[in-house]
Amino acid sequence: MPRRRSSAAYRIAFTSLGAMLIGLALLGTIVFFAMHFAFTRQLDATIAGEAQTLVDEYRSDGGRELGEGIAEREASTSPQRLMYAVFAPDGRRLYGHLQTVRPPLGVHNLQFVDPSEGSDAGRGLGIDLSRGERLLVAADSEWVERIDATLMELFGIAFLVLCLLGFAGALVLAKYLQRRLQTISGTAEAIIGGDIRERMPVGSRNDEFDQVAATLNRMLDRIEGLLENLRQVSSDVAHDLRTPLARLRNRLERGAAEDPRQAIDDAIVQVDEVLSLFAAILRIAEVEAGQTRRFFETVNLSELATELAESFAPSVQDEQRTLLWSIEPGVRVEGDRELLAQAFVNLLENAQRHTPPGTIIRIALVEGNGRSCFTVRDDGPGVPKSDLPRLTRRFARVESSRRTPGYGLGLSLVEAVAKLHGGRLLLRNEKPGFSATVELPRGIAAPEPTAGTELASAEH
Amino acid sequence: MKILVAEDDSDTAGFISRGLDEIGHNVLLANDGLDALHLLSTEQIDVAILDRMLPQLDGISIIRRARAAGIEVPTLVLTALGRIEDRVLGLEAGADDYLVKPFAFSELAARVTALGRRKPLHQDQNRLQHGELVLDLLKRQVFRGDTPILLQAREFRILEELMREEGKVVTRTMLLERVWNYHFDPQTNIVDTHISRLRSKLNEGGKPDLIETVRGVGYRMADHA
Repeated sequence: MPRRRSSAAYRIAFTSLGAMLIGLALLGTIVFFAMHFAFTRQLDATIAGEAQTLVDEYRSDGGRELGEGIAEREASTSPQRLMYAVFAPDGRRLYGHLQTVRPPLGVHNLQFVDPSEGSDAGRGLGIDLSRGERLLVAADSEWVERIDATLMELFGIAFLVLCLLGFAGALVLAKYLQRRLQTISGTAEAIIGGDIRERMPVGSRNDEFDQVAATLNRMLDRIEGLLENLRQVSSDVAHDLRTPLARLRNRLERGAAEDPRQAIDDAIVQVDEVLSLFAAILRIAEVEAGQTRRFFETVNLSELATELAESFAPSVQDEQRTLLWSIEPGVRVEGDRELLAQAFVNLLENAQRHTPPGTIIRIALVEGNGRSCFTVRDDGPGVPKSDLPRLTRRFARVESSRRTPGYGLGLSLVEAVAKLHGGRLLLRNEKPGFSATVELPRGIAAPEPTAGTELASAEH
Repeated sequence: MKILVAEDDSDTAGFISRGLDEIGHNVLLANDGLDALHLLSTEQIDVAILDRMLPQLDGISIIRRARAAGIEVPTLVLTALGRIEDRVLGLEAGADDYLVKPFAFSELAARVTALGRRKPLHQDQNRLQHGELVLDLLKRQVFRGDTPILLQAREFRILEELMREEGKVVTRTMLLERVWNYHFDPQTNIVDTHISRLRSKLNEGGKPDLIETVRGVGYRMADHA
């Protein structure tokens, strides 16, 4: 586990906390100033309204009436009390009790002496009357200050609370992130430790971590499959190449004593057999590893199948079997032309090799539901039901075909090619005969690691 | 022909160079990639045989660099891998032919001969002639003397390949690659069945056989026509 200083989980948690606090501070500042100015403006409006009333009174009734009006207002006990003064041009106060100096014109802040509190701040409006006299209407701005203070306090508390909550939340979040990641890295450690079958736990919430875990699991499935494949190839090579090599050795040993020339010729034939067997094993491994998928292109299956049928018909005929075909035009898939051709050839050769003379072999290519199916069907003896699942195994040969040539690699290659293209190989006993179908999706689809060969039997 | 053989395995190199020498070629040996590239750029070479894996510089890189330097020597790449990927990369890099180890020497010899004579052949040639046999590539028609011969598309292609090589051996795998575009070995020999049908059509009426079978190797146009 990384230390706190270097932990991404902590960094993320605290970065988001920091961002939140900065946001709150910014919000607090904006609210504070907006409120402050709104209240000040309201105060100014009250002062301006009152001043206007007084000026109107003065205009209609003269200075004496103004003095009385001010005295009357000062005597009232309303809590939102305003303060008044009228100054002579020389600064002398003529009416009112507001203790301050002769004010400037217009709205301004001012200092006055409050009889009970001493010097105090306020907001005032100076208006000129006739003969240089100046009216001042003012209000104590104390309540605006009080609101300001309350706001400051509120935001301060909110900031503190958020700091505490956020800090705690960040710690919890960081711990949570670390815990989720730790299960993944723990499993990875276990796999490094040697158990490739170990898998990441996937929760039911299907959140990002579960998705990552699921993806990693699929990757592990793939790796395990490849490893299994590799193991299989090496054991195939070890076990099944031994037989032809042993035969070769015997032949050479005998030849050295008897007829060396003939022995050499035979040996070359047998070595070629071993080599082609080897090539087949490697080809299957290559296809199963899926590396060739990057050479995929659009393949016209109809053309491929027609060409195949036309090319093989003469040799099938020479072997006293009949080849018939029915191929839908314009069937295309994304794939490797070469491998598809080889798979189709293998199916055709199987049908030819494992059936008695006089058999009718039918090739069909159809398309439907976004899938193309290439089928080779014969009306021969079929395959014993118990042998069906074994057919695609490497070197698997059913007992009845022991005497026919081949190493039993044909169908495993076909299956590997089908899977590479996201499709599958279907083997069926028909009544009568046997059919093998390569089913391919039209577009490129990643091969499903779980999709296996479907073995079906028409027998009931 | 002057043939460059770049092969780091001395047994294989010896096997190839002895064989080529016996059929009258002048062989230059290189046992690493840089040496091969050096020889390619300094000598007048007719065909280069390059191993896929070489010390210093692999076969495909040699071709890339040679082609980049404007050296258009026909090349054949040898590989022990035989993977689809290798073939595609090799051809993309500009290799002209490709052969998987192990191979029969006769196969290599036929391919090298074919490569060496590729240059003087006109790509736009539309009429091939071998004695009284005439193949019209534009009209897709074949005549033996005055007699028209009706061939299937693939039979026509096989005959075309044989006639283009002008009496040199064309192997079964070369035909599989060029006519069918198959780079694998179908166990059923479709080449042989097609040749036998082509042959019987060409020789109809007991005329002398125009296609000669070279045992264990392939076919070529017969000399006596």
